[in-house]
Amino acid sequence: MSADTAPLATAATSGRPMVEAQGVHKWFGKLEVLQGIDLEVQPREVMCLIGPSGSGKSTFLRCINHLEKVDAGRLSVDGALVGYREVGNKLHELRDREVAKARQDIGMVFQRFNLFPHMTALGNVMEAPIKVRREPKGEVRARAEQLLERVGLSDKLASYPAQLSGGQQQRVAIARALAMKPKLMLFDEPTSALDPELVGEVLEVMRDLASDGMTMIVVTHEMGFARRVADRIVFMDQGVVAEAGPPSTVLENPATARLRQFIQQVGEH
Amino acid sequence: MSPADTLDPGTPRVRPEAIRAVPVRHPGRWVSAAIVLVVAAQLAHWFFTNDGIGFSTARHYLFDHSIVMGVGVTLKLTVIAMVMGVVIGVALAVMRLSANPILSGGAWLYIWFFRGTPVYVQLLFWYSLPNVVNRISLGIPFGPSWLPQDPKELVTALVAACLGLGLNEGAYMAEIARAGILSVDQGQDEAACALGMNRLQTMRRIILPQAMKVIIPPTGNETISMLKTTSLAATITVAETLGVAQRIYGRTLEVIPLLVTASIWYLFLTSVLSVGQYYLERRYARGSLRNLPPTPRQKAIELVRNWQASRARKAAL
Repeated sequence: MSADTAPLATAATSGRPMVEAQGVHKWFGKLEVLQGIDLEVQPREVMCLIGPSGSGKSTFLRCINHLEKVDAGRLSVDGALVGYREVGNKLHELRDREVAKARQDIGMVFQRFNLFPHMTALGNVMEAPIKVRREPKGEVRARAEQLLERVGLSDKLASYPAQLSGGQQQRVAIARALAMKPKLMLFDEPTSALDPELVGEVLEVMRDLASDGMTMIVVTHEMGFARRVADRIVFMDQGVVAEAGPPSTVLENPATARLRQFIQQVGEH
Repeated sequence: MSPADTLDPGTPRVRPEAIRAVPVRHPGRWVSAAIVLVVAAQLAHWFFTNDGIGFSTARHYLFDHSIVMGVGVTLKLTVIAMVMGVVIGVALAVMRLSANPILSGGAWLYIWFFRGTPVYVQLLFWYSLPNVVNRISLGIPFGPSWLPQDPKELVTALVAACLGLGLNEGAYMAEIARAGILSVDQGQDEAACALGMNRLQTMRRIILPQAMKVIIPPTGNETISMLKTTSLAATITVAETLGVAQRIYGRTLEVIPLLVTASIWYLFLTSVLSVGQYYLERRYARGSLRNLPPTPRQKAIELVRNWQASRARKAAL
């Protein structure tokens, strides 16, 4: 990419979408998990991806930071293609280093937290800014302490993940992602592995983040959260976007029988 | 005290009196323990007083200058061979997990060869190689910095021993390191990737430290085993512990006493290594256990406390 085509402004100021997907396909062997996804996520937007398991919503989320490779179609974040570079009309795969660079600006929170068990909560949050961004340790430490305080864990700085509850671990994971000052946050079923009474504390942190204007894509089964926090809800089914729109429309007046059935099933829990 | 006490939040809870029962006796255990004690005492008595064993001779040679120097060589060989083994092993493990078939195939071939031939044969091979190779254009990866002040011949033997033991160990360490790397949850790799860490950073900062928990215990065993395997170097004229002992008894014919001397040293060194291994394992258990296992000192204190407590209980009965 030459200098004059490089994005000079981020999506937040340019009016271009933060995430843009056009006809995104993904195969696992013969199984076509994504069958042409077209989506746009605007800066500061909170989008909730809902749908039955196996509908491809997690896979789509993982494509956005190139944990999965897109097999067909186009996917770009903040104007830059994910995993590829376009030279003329040819696509070139990005080097590992370039992929890693792109991921620095995209935070991800996993269903199973994936905290580094050999580091304290503070160590988990400080690791990437120091080792990846090479920021001075003192600054990072101050910011990490602030972030952990923000997620309500200022008394757990020195605790190892094994000493924390699931909800606390997931809040550390959110702080860890935020420490890289991402422009986009991806949440992959962040509360699905939690005991019911711990779900609230994590959702509260996420709600706080949303009201701060963070661009967020959240794969979730928490309909209450989706209803209250999402700007837009996207219902995926069998690898395609079946319905999309503001919560009031999608959840109150589902257009398809499939979504009606889904809401009913999830609502029972 | 009534059950209502615990239900009423207004009154403080009273701790009920602990059960004081007469402990069960185990006469069978006592008898077998006595038999073991007698047999052990007999053996010890025979060992220390028998002239054929010559324990006093063995003790005499224990701190003999050449023996101590030999112990130094044993340690040096162990350290060099294990460092070579660990470095080669980790490299081979990463190669074996590579997507490139040449890399993984090459690593597989290395492991197949070095695990499939006796280490004794490999030692003889490296020792004899200079006889048939006139010119080596590829430098031997050991600088001359640690050469002993002895003649060149000894140098060659030492290098041969290091090569034989180290390259062989690399094959075993590769399998240990591979098991360790595979034991780390794939989510760790994904989390590191998502934070923008590159392959090397992920491996060094995230994967390997966690793999250590699985790698350390067998590596400790390998080190202890290596310490003893270095005695094979005696056969290619290296003056390590056993080699020195053999030279002395070749002169004085005090075979058994000098073998005892060597054994005492090997036992001492393996014991020290076992202690080191314990603390190393404890360190790498950080984060995976809520509470670290007690150190022997803490265990001893605990034991004494329990014993005192049980005595106090018995006295109260």
